[in-house]
Amino acid sequence: MEQKELRSWEALCIQDEPARCRAGCPFNMDARAFVMAMAAGNVQSGRAILDKSIPLPQITGSICEAPCEQYCLRKELGGPIAIASLERTCLGSTLSRGKLLRLPPRPKKVVLIGGGPASLVVAYDLAKKGYPIELYHSALPGGWLHQLPIWQLPRERLNEELALLKKGGVNFHQVERLDIALLRELEQTHDAIFIECSEELQPELLAYVPKPDMTTMATSSAKIFSDGLSSSSGSYVLAASHGREAALSIDRFLQGASLTAARPPLRHGQTALYTNTASIGAAARVTPAAGPDYSMEEAHSEAGRCLDCQCLECVKNCVYLQKFGSYPRVYARQIYNNEAIVKGIHQANILINSCSLCNQCATLCPNDFSMAELCLQARQRMVTESRMPPSAHEFALSEMRAARGDREQLLGHAPGYSTSSALFFPGCQLSGVRPDQTFALYAYLRKTTPDTGIWLSCCGAPAHWAGRQQEFNEIMMDLTNQWQQLGRPKMIFACSSCLKIIRDNLPEIEAISVWNLIKAGDFARASASSPVALSDPCTSRQDTATQSTVRKLVQDLGQPLENLTASGELTECCGYGGLMANANTAVSAAVIESRSRQNDAPFLTYCIMCREQLAEGGKESIHLLDLLFPEWAREAKEPKVSISDRRDNRTLLANRMRSEFYQEQESSPDPWDTVEVTMDDSIRALLEQRRILVQDVRQVLYTMEKEGKWLEHGKDQIRMTSLKLGTVTVWLRFLKEDSCYTILSAWSHRMQIGRILP
Amino acid sequence: MKLSFLPPDMDWRCHRCSQLLVAGKVELEYLGHNFNVELPVCKGCGEVLISEELAVGRMAEVERLLEDK
Repeated sequence: MEQKELRSWEALCIQDEPARCRAGCPFNMDARAFVMAMAAGNVQSGRAILDKSIPLPQITGSICEAPCEQYCLRKELGGPIAIASLERTCLGSTLSRGKLLRLPPRPKKVVLIGGGPASLVVAYDLAKKGYPIELYHSALPGGWLHQLPIWQLPRERLNEELALLKKGGVNFHQVERLDIALLRELEQTHDAIFIECSEELQPELLAYVPKPDMTTMATSSAKIFSDGLSSSSGSYVLAASHGREAALSIDRFLQGASLTAARPPLRHGQTALYTNTASIGAAARVTPAAGPDYSMEEAHSEAGRCLDCQCLECVKNCVYLQKFGSYPRVYARQIYNNEAIVKGIHQANILINSCSLCNQCATLCPNDFSMAELCLQARQRMVTESRMPPSAHEFALSEMRAARGDREQLLGHAPGYSTSSALFFPGCQLSGVRPDQTFALYAYLRKTTPDTGIWLSCCGAPAHWAGRQQEFNEIMMDLTNQWQQLGRPKMIFACSSCLKIIRDNLPEIEAISVWNLIKAGDFARASASSPVALSDPCTSRQDTATQSTVRKLVQDLGQPLENLTASGELTECCGYGGLMANANTAVSAAVIESRSRQNDAPFLTYCIMCREQLAEGGKESIHLLDLLFPEWAREAKEPKVSISDRRDNRTLLANRMRSEFYQEQESSPDPWDTVEVTMDDSIRALLEQRRILVQDVRQVLYTMEKEGKWLEHGKDQIRMTSLKLGTVTVWLRFLKEDSCYTILSAWSHRMQIGRILP
Repeated sequence: MKLSFLPPDMDWRCHRCSQLLVAGKVELEYLGHNFNVELPVCKGCGEVLISEELAVGRMAEVERLLEDK
């Protein structure tokens, strides 16, 4: 990934954008953090935020007009958070730091003319930066602040801030008149001058000061900076904001730096942060019971109304995104860094391989950030650069290749026909899990359209999901060739994943969902009247037509449905998609557990993998075919079909069709097919978990007998043997009685055994 | 540092060679990384014993680590 690409990914995720309160604060105070601190009762932390963010905290915190509040999202939900009041309460219950923390002294001399709020802010900001400040005033320092009522600005707070300034290196000079002569004198001796334009100045000086640029506060005279009459507006925050901007400009000017380059502009409430308030109820703003200020309890209550504005729309709805503890913007950088590693651990490999590629995040994101696109591209690069961990996808890939192999694949016209106007493609998983229902469904399709051909195969989705573009492209070419050879028929898919793969990659093929061809009237009405929750497969996300067709079909069959919020466009993946279950069983288990809890009713789905994943997670679930073909229906509680049985079922289905439809020979069996193997249920489960096929076990034992090589234990006749199958070495511990093998355990490893060293 | 993965129970015989397995040094390899470890071997035919404990334990751990390297 190039840096430019990373930046464009990061720009899409707005989670780091400031909350609206912060965006509305001219001092960029993290008002959200401040209010949340007050809500948690951490008044000291709240005070610390004030102290580090706003100038003259005791003054600003007392009288700021709080432009932040007008942007607060609580505005429509009971009234904006009373941030200003919370600041006042915070000041009232905490102590000052006692001194101004200063940087080491700078050799430049700054002078301020006028003692009003803008000047005092300039003095505060620049004194902290180490500049020696001379402040000339003719009226009392504080200017019009002295006109504010005492309850609003307790005089101790004003005086304390002034004392801190004095202690911090600000020298106050009381003079009779602030006039042009003074200015001329100071121009000679000082490096930068700030003038607060108020009634405190002599009119001639007031008229003399050039109008400043309202972003930088700089004037046409290089050394002179001004606030441009903000004081006369009567707004403290405006004066203070101009003071802060002027101080920033003076600091840059004195260092010879540009006043404008890389200078973040004031946001005036503008932020790209999106916060979903749909489920937030209104809660009225707390009004103080006695006097103008909150009690600590009232403040706590008011702060508790804060929404803690975040985005996290995708994370809130996705177990995978939650599991890795962060959000897409961070993940993009982790993936970028992962690729940049030459020597070291690629810690983000698991992040990249655990995404189901379902795109729910992109659907929820205001900017369509797609983890699917990010992760899939990363996987493709990993494969190209030979950095893809083999264990992530290998099992699914070998299953795909077997489904496309000679035994399990079958392509033919309808029995008795030599052309096909339509071609039924049930998909590898449906054939493997429900061979009888697949056969029955095919028979049904032939009733309406007798020249419907049959194609048992795999669409190549695992190759695509694994990032193996080259292998996937070869599969697409092969599918196209075979489709062309059969006369380019309309293709009928029972699986949403197959349908999506073909529609996305082979648009020349007319591809429809089988559910469009099912007429409810041809089937008995559903016997179970208790409602089920319909779970749309993730690959149907954009296929609203199929989703509607299925709903109508279910309705016409008389099966009542319960609502599942995360359905339709917002549906969730069951964990099979993107090969998540292959690469990260822990996350897929958590995904299915969360999904199962979304509704107490049993689930109905039209993807057999969803059904199997749900069943593995202990959720009662049925497939749409269970409603259509109750004679072949399976129990909702039935556990998933084993990986070994899936292979056998596909072969059996293909052989059944070879023999019944085409009077062809069954595919030649493997010589080890007849090896007799037995094991406890617990061992069977162990093999399943370790992804060791029973067929593999037979092959190992057959080869062992042929080569006459095995290990024997002590006197109890327990044996061990191994065989390298592809990239994996499978080991067995077993007993042999006559010609039957009892498997005691099985394990495998990828590490290869080389030579024995002398 | 000698990497030794001899199981506590060494009472295993190679059927073909009719010999007890003994401790031997074996080269293991994964993704281009090589290790020399001590494992039970048959001095007759070179058969090596990878116990279940080793395979699903330390070996699996190392394989995962190497895959992320």
